[in-house]
Amino acid sequence: MTGVALFIVLVALVCHTAGQVFLKHAMASTHTAAGFRSRAVLFPFAIGIVLMTTQFFLNLGLLQRYDLSFIYPFQGLGVIIITFIAGVTLREKLTLQLVAGSALISVGVVLVSMT
Amino acid sequence: MATEVKPAGFRNPWLALAVSVACVTIYELLLKRGAAATANPSSSWSWTGLSGLGSIYVWIAIVFVILSLITWLYVLRYLPLSIAFPISQAVHVLVPLGSWLILGENIITLRWIGIAFVSLGLAVVARPVARIEEEL
Repeated sequence: MTGVALFIVLVALVCHTAGQVFLKHAMASTHTAAGFRSRAVLFPFAIGIVLMTTQFFLNLGLLQRYDLSFIYPFQGLGVIIITFIAGVTLREKLTLQLVAGSALISVGVVLVSMT
Repeated sequence: MATEVKPAGFRNPWLALAVSVACVTIYELLLKRGAAATANPSSSWSWTGLSGLGSIYVWIAIVFVILSLITWLYVLRYLPLSIAFPISQAVHVLVPLGSWLILGENIITLRWIGIAFVSLGLAVVARPVARIEEEL
């Protein structure tokens, strides 16, 4: 894997993580905001969609050069990152079991991605 | 953040999570098939992935990714991201298995060990969630 490819993998990972947090924030706001047309829902939703779309095309470019079973698991590093960021930014409850399970998944994903 | 009572039956968010995972798995396998059919690494624009839009497999994949997005948004409406996202990583077991069974890609021993780790992690995350659901 070249430096450029690694950089694109990292950018895709950041887009994926931030996109998920924005989408969760938008959907959680539907319980309290005045419907889907509310600015509190639409603004984070739009940012989330832009980030996820960017991640999609970066992923497609990577897939044109590498095997799916090699490239895709890099995104799995986002598991432990997203779990922590959801706890911090969205104030979700993090249990030891949840963190341990997420860490096991991330380790597994890294192992799956190694050649 | 405020939450609502979780819907049951076909509107159960856990069922939506399973559908979302299935859609992502199908999407990834189709995307790889489409990407392989349109690969042109010598092009300076190839990193953008836009040339992949020339494949029907990529367009079908896009339909599945839209379905997965809709079901995922529904999941996010009811389930915490810190629980739903780790469980959605079942795709890291299903996609390599699909790559092996359908695309004929090779899976080395280390990857099998990784798949076992992901499966174990899923069990660790899902266990307390299942207990909580039973109590409700």
